[in-house]
Amino acid sequence: MALSQTRSSAVKRYMRRFIPAMGLYIVVLFASLYAIKAMAATGLLLWILAVAPAMPILAVIAIMGLYIAEETDELPRAVMVQSMLWGIGLTLAAATVWGFLENADLVPHLSSFLIFPIFCAAMGLAQPFVWRQYR
Amino acid sequence: MKNRLKVLRAERDWSQADLADRLEVSRQTVNAIETGKYDPSLPLAFKIGRLFEQPIETIFDDEAA
Repeated sequence: MALSQTRSSAVKRYMRRFIPAMGLYIVVLFASLYAIKAMAATGLLLWILAVAPAMPILAVIAIMGLYIAEETDELPRAVMVQSMLWGIGLTLAAATVWGFLENADLVPHLSSFLIFPIFCAAMGLAQPFVWRQYR
Repeated sequence: MKNRLKVLRAERDWSQADLADRLEVSRQTVNAIETGKYDPSLPLAFKIGRLFEQPIETIFDDEAA
């Protein structure tokens, strides 16, 4: 996420955590998909393999929280918090509308793992608009 | 909030970046405060007051139109 022009130490720490977590996510995702098929996993093993790709994403959520906790430059922190609120609001709105449309068979079912990337996209889109208030 | 940051900065011949370094924030934070678009937190306002050796209320004016 484009945070600010000057890269604070909190941003650097964020990137140092975020990039490995996303790398791990890709590895675990493909390993999990492959292993479930190759091992014809069932029972507890299937549970473990199925939930594995969620773990790096949970780490990313915690990494975003750590950024907010560690950023000492208050304007970029405020911009990030406001962008997150926009992301939350837009995601809740989209999920609610989609859910009711889905109820009436107007739109296909979407897996709930898409909620987080949708939130990230909405937050990312909101950021330049939030920044504009302070420029 | 209206403030005298720009004047105080000019009196000392500091750039926004110089002031940002002294306050340990980014230049865009200094710029947003200076232009009145962002109101600093109370701790940052005190830091600004201490740096310029003036009380907060002589630097920031919350009653300006």
